[in-house]
Amino acid sequence: MSSASVVDPAVRGRLAGGRVHQVILVREQDAQHSGSGCCGRLGERHTALGGAADFSHSRARMEQVGEIYRALAAAVPDLELTVVDPRNLVWLYPAVWRAARAHGAGVFTALRAVARAGAPVAVVVDGNTLYSGRLPDTQTVMAAVLARVQQPSPARPTADAQRQP
Amino acid sequence: MPAFLLIVITLVAFYFAYKFYSRYLAEKVYRLDPNFVTPAHAMRDGVDFVPTHKHVLLGHHFTSVAGAAPIVGPAIAVYWGWLPALTWVILGTIFAAGVHDFGSIVVSARNRGQNIGTLSGKVVSARASTLFLLIIFFLLTLVNAVFGVVMAILFEKNPGAVVPALIVIPIAVFIGQWAYRMGRSIVIPSILGLLLLYAAIPVGQAYPIYVDGLAEAVGLSVRTTWIILIFAYTWIASRLPVWVLLQPRDYINGQQLIVALAVIFLGVLIGWDTISAPAVNEVAPNSPHWFPYLFITVACGAISGFHSLVASGTTSKQLGNETEARFVGYGGALGEGALALAAILACTAGLGAAGDWNAAYADFGAASGGALGHFVTGTGHFLSNLGIPATLGATFAAVVVITFAGTTMDTGVRLQRYILEEIAELAGVKALVGRVNLLTTLAVLIPLGLALLPGGDSSGGKGFAFGRLWTLFGTTNQLTAGLALSIIGVWLLARNRNPLAALIPLVFLLFMTTWALLLNLGDFFAKGDWLLLVMDAAIFVLAAWLVVEAFTAFNRERRNPSAAAEES
Repeated sequence: MSSASVVDPAVRGRLAGGRVHQVILVREQDAQHSGSGCCGRLGERHTALGGAADFSHSRARMEQVGEIYRALAAAVPDLELTVVDPRNLVWLYPAVWRAARAHGAGVFTALRAVARAGAPVAVVVDGNTLYSGRLPDTQTVMAAVLARVQQPSPARPTADAQRQP
Repeated sequence: MPAFLLIVITLVAFYFAYKFYSRYLAEKVYRLDPNFVTPAHAMRDGVDFVPTHKHVLLGHHFTSVAGAAPIVGPAIAVYWGWLPALTWVILGTIFAAGVHDFGSIVVSARNRGQNIGTLSGKVVSARASTLFLLIIFFLLTLVNAVFGVVMAILFEKNPGAVVPALIVIPIAVFIGQWAYRMGRSIVIPSILGLLLLYAAIPVGQAYPIYVDGLAEAVGLSVRTTWIILIFAYTWIASRLPVWVLLQPRDYINGQQLIVALAVIFLGVLIGWDTISAPAVNEVAPNSPHWFPYLFITVACGAISGFHSLVASGTTSKQLGNETEARFVGYGGALGEGALALAAILACTAGLGAAGDWNAAYADFGAASGGALGHFVTGTGHFLSNLGIPATLGATFAAVVVITFAGTTMDTGVRLQRYILEEIAELAGVKALVGRVNLLTTLAVLIPLGLALLPGGDSSGGKGFAFGRLWTLFGTTNQLTAGLALSIIGVWLLARNRNPLAALIPLVFLLFMTTWALLLNLGDFFAKGDWLLLVMDAAIFVLAAWLVVEAFTAFNRERRNPSAAAEES
């Protein structure tokens, strides 16, 4: 994979202090989610009931995000990679908020990151929402994520780091 | 008894169940292996197969299974008293739903993430996958019928909810355009949409919408008119691309679910209401007896077979470590049990504080036809504990249920369309294949016919037929659970493990379901409800078929244990 060559082997997805970089890939699953209860899951591709055609636009995004996921996993094995549906708001919003704050973002910046992360498709790196709503081609996304990962982070010192002499 | 105490009792029971029983299941029954390479790793593609943190997966699993059904069943079941309803919710969740949801994830993960329909053909028998499709056909027909009636009853009883329920449509369409066509984030618009929806509640109160004039003009009852209008809307909604209305409404629904759960439990904590409803109700003569009807009235919230679709459809494909199936599967079942608890509290403590509980649950017709009205009134009372006027709170609760029910019907009609097309293909009826408008019309007319069946609206507005439709829906849901539990049991037996944890709830469910179906047969025959009689007979045949399939598969594995399912 060509993207792998741009990664400094010394970085390997880790921040100073040994913490790993966190990348959240947001995309909708190709099925109905909240409100229809379990019935919504019948329309999925896996159930052989033909429902996938209705969700072909979501499927296309899933495929592209899958491509980005595989490329990132190959290029930076240490990354903490999470793929999540934006309708899983119980997990997504707090996770982006925590990550943004942990990486030094102010309250408004963190709120903005959360607001942008809740989209049919989004890419969030260390609490910073790089893309929201639409994605450029995979190579462009990869380049942006890798640039961000290799950038020195203004992360707040962790409790462990503060205890270091 | 203070309502708060019921929360404590339930949560303590759930805590110990998770700590001890789910551990027993994990270690002794499913024997989870932390070194097992799950499909999420073995077939990792970042699309469907993605190793996912257990907290992310629980959020996904829970928001996928939560809907209106865990509200309706308990809201009817408190007719027999809060004690039987709560006992079944607690015991069903712990010993049936937990085993079922947890086991469905494990068996699917051990079979390359295959779904329960495929597994039924592979683990039980080739015929079982046909059985699965037929059960789904009946289930969807009944889902669409009961939720059509649910919405009609709520509109009839809460005309103030019509405006906010209608407002949701343009809000969702706007969000759809904003997010899917313009490629923007959805958080701010969906929060603003939710606020706009809540702002529409007092507007709806000020300008209630009645269809009495229309009903009179066409010579139908108000409820029948609403039912027809709702199915007409569903026809249109299910023909729209999903991104226009269905998907954007997901975001509003997700937020509504959290808000509704929060206000109910907060209202109970702050109001410190007592439960004035009887622990065990002396029911009116000729009412269905709680044994066996309780166990098919509360399906979702005690055990729901359709959770196996979520568990095997997507959850198993994202399981990062097999040991996490316990947290996600068993934990998700407990979450659904908590939803059912909220409904019980609203229909006992909330309703009792707001009005005359005994009058509301005077007979089974009033209990079932008015179930959601009771939930709405009870929730309105809990909101009044938080300083919100009870009438506004009731409209809020009605809007929550209506938007959930509308989403369910939109999805259900689409799915029924696919199934009808498959059946047409199998039967060689080429005139139907590819005829989307015709298929959609059929998918609407079948449940509409059931919703308007003779007796459905002629019971003096008590909606007695709704209760019977609902219990039929419960039987199909329990049959799906039975099928999943059969798969789990056979899978365990094939590995020389004790299958009792799956076998006991399976036998219990099949016994209660077939018994209730038999009682229904006699009842429908005596009353001349021929359409319901045919439906009931067909579901009974499916139940008998399932018993035969399960028995044959268990017998086969007991005599000649084989690896009933290849493990990845």
